[in-house]
Amino acid sequence: MLMEVKNQIKVMILSFKYAVMREMLNKVTFLSNIIFMILNNSFFIIQWVVLFSLRENVGGYTFNQVLMLWAIASGTFGFAHFFFKKAYSLSDTITNGKLDAYLVQPKNVLISCITSDVSPSALGDLIYGYIVIFLSGITISKFILYTFFVISGGIIMVDIAIILGSLSFYISKSDMIAETGNNFMIYFATYPDGIFKGIVKILLFTIIPIGITTYIPVWVLTKFNLFYLLGVIAFTICITIFAFVIFYKGLKRYSSSNLMVAKI
Amino acid sequence: MKVIEVKNLSKSFKVKIKEKGFKGSLKSIIHPKYKIIKAVNNISFDVEEGEMIAFIGPNGAGKSTTIKMLTGILYRNEGEIKVLNLDPSKDRKKLAYKIGTVFGQKEQLWMHLTPMDNFKFFAAIYDIPEKEAEKRIEELSNLFEMESFINTPVRNLSLGQRIRSEIVASLIHNPKILFLDEPTIGLDPVVKENIRKLIKKMNKEYNTTIFLTSHDVLDIEKLCKRVIIVNNGRIVMDDTMNNLKYHYLNKKIVEVKSKEKIDFNDEDGITILKEKETNLKLEIDTRKKNLSDVLKLIDPENIIDINISNTPLEQIISEIYKDNKVEKLKK
Repeated sequence: MLMEVKNQIKVMILSFKYAVMREMLNKVTFLSNIIFMILNNSFFIIQWVVLFSLRENVGGYTFNQVLMLWAIASGTFGFAHFFFKKAYSLSDTITNGKLDAYLVQPKNVLISCITSDVSPSALGDLIYGYIVIFLSGITISKFILYTFFVISGGIIMVDIAIILGSLSFYISKSDMIAETGNNFMIYFATYPDGIFKGIVKILLFTIIPIGITTYIPVWVLTKFNLFYLLGVIAFTICITIFAFVIFYKGLKRYSSSNLMVAKI
Repeated sequence: MKVIEVKNLSKSFKVKIKEKGFKGSLKSIIHPKYKIIKAVNNISFDVEEGEMIAFIGPNGAGKSTTIKMLTGILYRNEGEIKVLNLDPSKDRKKLAYKIGTVFGQKEQLWMHLTPMDNFKFFAAIYDIPEKEAEKRIEELSNLFEMESFINTPVRNLSLGQRIRSEIVASLIHNPKILFLDEPTIGLDPVVKENIRKLIKKMNKEYNTTIFLTSHDVLDIEKLCKRVIIVNNGRIVMDDTMNNLKYHYLNKKIVEVKSKEKIDFNDEDGITILKEKETNLKLEIDTRKKNLSDVLKLIDPENIIDINISNTPLEQIISEIYKDNKVEKLKK
């Protein structure tokens, strides 16, 4: 079992290395994707600077907390899309029979599939997250906690993408549903949770778990709370198991395809 | 030793039926109707170790579906499959260590990497230690004559070189069975012939069982000793290549160019396929008439040119596809 995990990680690293090498073939595009994403994100912070010059807090958040919110939102998005880009095209992979190549390999199909590509612009998001968390004032413990929440939040985002992508096993052309669902995870992530009330707030801590990926991390970074931290860990484990179960249940319905496919 | 055992295997797909036009589209949203298509319908066969078997049929016959069930890509609906004593659905990972697959229509290699880097990646996938992998890569690159392009990125290789790389990548873990799904698709005749030679060489060197699907009759004729023909999800013929030729190649084509017109009308066992002035094309049923008897009917002085050939295997197979009645052809 341990050997199997070790070998899977070895293949994951190799796959990741090759995917990065592919993106770096065109150095200018690779670097400009990263830089422009950092610049693009920076413009949003300017809006918040203007807003906070008019009032002291928004939705119960101070400017420093908004910086943390952006750092977490950007970091989790960057982590999920950079390392697990293919989770976001799982619908297409399933519908067009592209899982075949992974199914004939003696490795975990889902992990091999979602780690086979990277998004350079998402690396820009990940770097931006670290820049902003430094701007919000950094300590070693805050840095470690932030990194932990980027990973846990990123994994939750990937899990949501897997669950939504796996719908393609059951519903044809469900890529739109998956896209909408994944966009929900971004839309709400950059606004303070104080502005949401009632049913929306419940949704944000359950079906669209931005509360777990972003809001709770901001609370813990502001004031450490072990209970919240353990809650995030438990939720991450549960949703990861759920995502794997949904995918593997669906895999039994996989119908492949004879489309001409190239691994470009 | 049997390496593949298939008993009463079936696989169905649920397909949505849609009436034509916009109205039909609306109707299919409100009241969707489905039909069940049996892609594979109760098929049974065995394959022995080291065999080279052709699994052929027209498009949509169920070849790829069967191959995908044998390799663990698709789950079966009914029946039993044992590949190297493993159930592909339950023991997919274990089986993957022992089999190799090449899908001519699907690239498995990283295009921006060289074949060498790709082989190293595949070696990691199959948990082969680095030194062992290097030795194996060297051995295979010699066998498949790849030295000249092993360090060129795959995207810059010709299609033939690419297919060769695909085959080597699927052999890196020394599989006992190699599934080839149309490996020569899109290749020119010279490259095809080269690939066939290499596959044959590999079968001889490592006793690898070859399970081949192809639309190219020459692939089948030159590589395989046994042929399974499927149509509409069922096996319509499972026989040796020799038997196929013996039973179905009982017709000869004779083309004669003569000085004067020859009359073959009313001769039993001779069918005139084409007649143009003194040029004749005949089909001889050798069960009714010996070829030598036919030749005796022609005055040697009258012959300008004569050509005797078999009915092309391609034609025989397409007749089997069309009629789906093997017995009819045997008669």
